[in-house]
Amino acid sequence: MDGIAFLARVEEYHKAGWRLALINATSLMPSDELAQGAFDVVWAFAKETEFEYLRERVMPGEEVPSISASFGASFLYENEIRELFGINVTGIALDLHGQLYKTSQKVPFSPSAIRARLEANAAAGIASASATPPVAGKHA
Amino acid sequence: MANPFNLPMVRRSLRNLVSRPATRRYPTEIRPRFAGARGTLEFDVETCNYCMLCARRCPAAAITVNREARTWAIEQLTCIACGVCVDVCAKKSLTMLVTSRAVHTHAEVGPQGQRPGHEEWHSADPAVAAATAATTKAAEGAAG
Amino acid sequence: MKRTVIPMGPQHPVLPEPLVLDLILEDEKVVDAVPTIGYIHRGLEMMVERVEYTEMGFVVERICGICSFMHGMGYCVSLETMMNIEVPERARWLRLIWAEISRIQSHLLWLGLGADAFGFENLFMHCWRMREEVLDIFEKTTGGRIIHSVNRIGGVKRDVSDTELAAILVRLQDLGQAFKATAEVFGSDPSIAHRLGGVGVLSAEGALAAAAVGPMARASGIATDTRLNGANLYDQIEFQPVVENAGDCLARVVVRLREIDQSIDIVRQAIDKMPKGEGQPLEIKPRGNPQGEVFTRLEQPRGEVLYYVKANGTKYLERFRARTPTFANIPAMIQLVKGCDLADVPNIILTIDPCISCTER
Repeated sequence: MDGIAFLARVEEYHKAGWRLALINATSLMPSDELAQGAFDVVWAFAKETEFEYLRERVMPGEEVPSISASFGASFLYENEIRELFGINVTGIALDLHGQLYKTSQKVPFSPSAIRARLEANAAAGIASASATPPVAGKHA
Repeated sequence: MANPFNLPMVRRSLRNLVSRPATRRYPTEIRPRFAGARGTLEFDVETCNYCMLCARRCPAAAITVNREARTWAIEQLTCIACGVCVDVCAKKSLTMLVTSRAVHTHAEVGPQGQRPGHEEWHSADPAVAAATAATTKAAEGAAG
Repeated sequence: MKRTVIPMGPQHPVLPEPLVLDLILEDEKVVDAVPTIGYIHRGLEMMVERVEYTEMGFVVERICGICSFMHGMGYCVSLETMMNIEVPERARWLRLIWAEISRIQSHLLWLGLGADAFGFENLFMHCWRMREEVLDIFEKTTGGRIIHSVNRIGGVKRDVSDTELAAILVRLQDLGQAFKATAEVFGSDPSIAHRLGGVGVLSAEGALAAAAVGPMARASGIATDTRLNGANLYDQIEFQPVVENAGDCLARVVVRLREIDQSIDIVRQAIDKMPKGEGQPLEIKPRGNPQGEVFTRLEQPRGEVLYYVKANGTKYLERFRARTPTFANIPAMIQLVKGCDLADVPNIILTIDPCISCTER
């Protein structure tokens, strides 16, 4: 993703008085196009009754700039997506260095961890989602 | 300096000394639950036809049904009393009672290692049951 | 000047749920605070891998006991939007009524906890005694005091008859009247004014910069309320967001006090406007599997809650995210705690109405 252009768009929202509502990541399972999976990250902004969002497809390991310079309140979301998904967010204002959730399994929501869990479930006969979803990575 | 002889307070204290308690004396006195409250699940094994819909739809996977062996089991401690099984059962074998489920302690592990709150029913095979009923009737007819 | 670090939490008498704040002090003044959460992280969002979308509603409503109804409602509304299900009108009105009663129950809980935080246990007991009457209403209409399990994708499971609704309204209005005496204590007691007045002031700019939502922002003069966007039948209700301007802890108490009366009035309007009569359809069963992506915003007692649901056409959802209002208010809380006295820290933390189990799911 183009970090500079992205941060410029985020700053426009900040200047126009929008409030940060959500930074969410979804793990996309490994498929033919995405050998290691990927992440679909959404930054949502709200202003009274209006609601808009930016979306980026992030590859594993790709650097994602923090938006703390524009929206100071983003540190919680960014620490969470780094700790649970393994997305490489850089420059967070209040960086908690992986101490936010302290899960027993590191990056439990990353594509590889999810796939490992789903395949283990399938092997053990526990009903769960398919490790190879039908519409891998496609948004409707 | 606060007034130590705060008259309304003194009056209230004396009144509280001699009046009945304002709260219910729990656990000796337990408030009965309102009608329609979701408490415990009750199962009638006579009407069950082993369609297994309740086990499939249970969100907590608390119900286990074995159609071949004709057993129906519920883990009462896993049950979340949502009422989905009561709604889907076509034979109306399940009812939701208003009383809360019984309290279990860890000491009540069953002989085969069943968890506390494990309840199991077994109903006889209808063909065998019919045959047994026929022979019993014939025996009674011969004797009588 | 020498700095001391005092860790507050995870267990603390004022905290309803575990939260750690490492407070960095110079003498009695807090200069910085580092939060750590995660003590109640249950990974509920991971359950979408194992729980089908029809049953996920039961998991979602158990994210938190105080905000339980709106979580279930938000999940069902998200999936109904995604699958284009038109919920019957009476069911939508019932959801609104239950949501407002849930708000009353949550604010009464918080007012009691707030009073307990500075030692006013008698007031805490009064608030919770009144809350019991609201929980009785829930038990009679939904079957459960805290976890209601009435929301289904496509509607609600139970109906409440018109006579019973009228009786509920009478009971709520009596409660509102009886609560006035307790509410006056919050306003007139000198010890409360001393402990809460002027403490933890959040200006309007500060609230905007910290992305505060709900009563936290409304007490600083910002008239923001997710119900104003008119979704879920709120466009048929006449109400104005309850706004106070002082921005201190006392203002946040007053906002929640006034919102209780506002909710009782909203319930009255809803009972008036809803379609009357017995035997109306309450639920439309979903067909097929959900596909697509949806954002839903609701106004929980603590502020704006945002649900993000992504589905890929199978019966298991791909992603479910509940961004609860406390998650959005934690940066504001940390900003407020800086510069205050150590003894004020519990009060300030409590005035954001922390629901850490919602935050951590």
